[in-house]
Amino acid sequence: MTSDSSSSPSSSDTEFADPNPSTDPGTNSERVQSQLESMNLSEPSEVSDGSHTDYGGGDDDDDAPAEVALSNANEGGFTNGRVVREDLAETSGEEGREASLRAEHPVEMEAGEEPPSPTSSGYDGERGSSGGATSTYKADDASEDEIREANGDGDTASQHEAAWLPGKRHVHEDDASISWRKRKKHFFILSNSGKPIYSRYGDEHKLAGFSATLQAIISFVENGGDRVNLVKAGKHQVVFLVKGPIYLVCISCTDETYDYLRGQLDLLYGQMILILTKSIDRCFEKNAKFDMSPLLGGTDAVFSSLVHSFSWNPATFLHAYTCLPIQYALRQAAGTILQEVCASGVLFSLLMCRHKVISLAGAQKASLHPDDLLLLSNFVMSSESFRTSESFSPICLPRYNPQAFLHAYVHFFDDDTYVMLLTTRSEAFYHLKDCRIRIEAVLLKSNILSMVQRSIAEGGMRVEDLPIDRRLRQKASSTNNQGQDTGGPDRLRDISVGTGGPFGLWHFIYRSIYLDQYISSEFSLPVTSHRQQKSLYRAYQKLYASMHDKGLGPHKTQYRRDENYTLLCWVTPDFELYAAFDPLADKAMAIKMCNQVCQRVKDLENEVFLQGASPFSW
Amino acid sequence: MATAGNKSINAKLVLLGDVGAGKSSLVLRFVKDQFVEFQESTIGAAFFSQTLAVNDATVKFEIWDTAGQERYHSLAPMYYRGAAAAVIVFDVTNQASFERAKKWVQELQAQGNPNMVMALAGNKSDLLDARKVTAEEAQTYAQENSLFFMETSAKTAANVKEIFYEIARRLPRVQPTENPTGMVLPDRAMDRAVSASCCA
Repeated sequence: MTSDSSSSPSSSDTEFADPNPSTDPGTNSERVQSQLESMNLSEPSEVSDGSHTDYGGGDDDDDAPAEVALSNANEGGFTNGRVVREDLAETSGEEGREASLRAEHPVEMEAGEEPPSPTSSGYDGERGSSGGATSTYKADDASEDEIREANGDGDTASQHEAAWLPGKRHVHEDDASISWRKRKKHFFILSNSGKPIYSRYGDEHKLAGFSATLQAIISFVENGGDRVNLVKAGKHQVVFLVKGPIYLVCISCTDETYDYLRGQLDLLYGQMILILTKSIDRCFEKNAKFDMSPLLGGTDAVFSSLVHSFSWNPATFLHAYTCLPIQYALRQAAGTILQEVCASGVLFSLLMCRHKVISLAGAQKASLHPDDLLLLSNFVMSSESFRTSESFSPICLPRYNPQAFLHAYVHFFDDDTYVMLLTTRSEAFYHLKDCRIRIEAVLLKSNILSMVQRSIAEGGMRVEDLPIDRRLRQKASSTNNQGQDTGGPDRLRDISVGTGGPFGLWHFIYRSIYLDQYISSEFSLPVTSHRQQKSLYRAYQKLYASMHDKGLGPHKTQYRRDENYTLLCWVTPDFELYAAFDPLADKAMAIKMCNQVCQRVKDLENEVFLQGASPFSW
Repeated sequence: MATAGNKSINAKLVLLGDVGAGKSSLVLRFVKDQFVEFQESTIGAAFFSQTLAVNDATVKFEIWDTAGQERYHSLAPMYYRGAAAAVIVFDVTNQASFERAKKWVQELQAQGNPNMVMALAGNKSDLLDARKVTAEEAQTYAQENSLFFMETSAKTAANVKEIFYEIARRLPRVQPTENPTGMVLPDRAMDRAVSASCCA
């Protein structure tokens, strides 16, 4: 983006101090500071650029149409739905090359640079379909003024603050609806014969024509012995993922990275496999025109909740899970009984609180991938049915074995805490029920359930609670005093550095690579609204993507400042730290704070992480 | 699933029927006396237990409320094998759900326990205006197939307790000894079978 992004390649091992209690943190951070300060820092003026709207707006979960968030962008690139449709229709036809060039982005393909040949046969039919669609664009143009007014009314702050409700929205829409085209982020699952399977917005059956268009694009490129991964059209990215007979497509103008959007499609596919297993492929072998959508009946809430989690759950891009902070002894007690249960023939036993792990255990040699854990908890949390009684349901863990069903026993002890017992044996219900009774007895005896409620109420780590080194404070006040002489912007710093944690620290995520777990601080002032939180996650996602960029990386550190945040990322073989500061935070102080955060996490690691979870040590 | 001398009977009961017929609503009304207008789809199967006292015995129902979704159809044998009773539920406002109920009856007659007590429940009887399946039509079908039929409403609780009491009365008082775990299993590995036939 427009920020200063100075990332140093792997050579700079010593840049950050190891947060080891035995070494003096003061001298270490001094060293780091001098290293980082030698990098170029951009002036704030360089940063304030109109193209930065993604951090400000970017809400695709709620009903906010795209235009609202783009209100400070130029007028030209508006009516996003129409832009997509036009470019999609055109790229499928003869003007494919010109259309994408006009949008200033070439069609990106995995192998070979050549766009589909204009003289290829089978193209006339496609033009026919795109011609049909063109007439509807005109209808849109005519009613543009009307749309803008409606949008102004629709986007209120209260809508964004409102609690997210599961389930599918806007089922009445289809690709002819103006509102549908303005959604900022669409997800589609379709079969390779073009039959719709899932659509985030609108009725799948009404989107048959649109699905067929997507299928035509994919198979057109495939027929040329190639594969289409990404089409850029103005602000929109169209990301394709082909999984055997299943096609997944995301159309987004949220400015997320290609890698992350593709990762989201992967998770969406995984969620589908979790419900049906990969054996659905065989149905397509038997009958290419097989209609799969009835098999996913009643699962809209599962998918919409997953899509929602892309914007709030860091597990979706970190590929790690997080634990509920709880006393070490309690976690151990829960872990012991779960381990005993596994020894009696249960494959995985998990004690969860909402999306967080309290403890888990696995049978010997069985390992649970963090992505499977994410999909599993999403499935259970989004299906109201599990809460009414004990459930016994077939589920598939895509990373464990995508071909076969496991049987999951699910029981909620209260509104938040539940146990999941997974087995390969379909007759094991009564055994699992007995296991649950044994687990429940331990939980009651050790009072874990009420401690879990207390942990929920207290929340996780807070940036405000970080201990502050007195020397740092003195140094900070001296920098602020210097700033006052120069006037305006620096006076702002005095005020804003006070919000959030010490020295302008707003938020952090610490990911332990060895444990496959992460800990994220609670959101605190000033990152309080859903929109701000989501925008911060988007910034983290970009940071994550740039740190893990296969072409340029791997990187060790990155310091990035724009008008919204100062972001600092630090990757070592043991952990990754992502921290967000006030945009006017002092760089040296920020680096010192990062060292303090790491130290703090190490101090608390027995409470915030699940230690020695055998199934995860792979 | 065994009869004891003190006339305490454990009976496995399974609910089958189309999506949205009201299986979960019937069970929740029976077990918890609750009703929600928009009941979420059941995932897999939900397990409940409820004890009833009839004149000569105490019947403890172990109830399997199965999901009506198509993808779970191949799992149904896992739940109805060894069941002493089945409630086949349809929605009186939905002809297709009645046809689906007839298919369940056929399947149970072919595959199920031959002594199984089968009840046909025409649910949503409170929706008088939207009725598509007449009581006579369902009654005739039930008689032909030796089921007993009742129209129920989970919403108003009409006939909900009655249908379960009627099943309890009809349960054979002397039952053959069964698998004590309450589930009789097919020889083949179910997990493989399920994955192979989920879309067949």
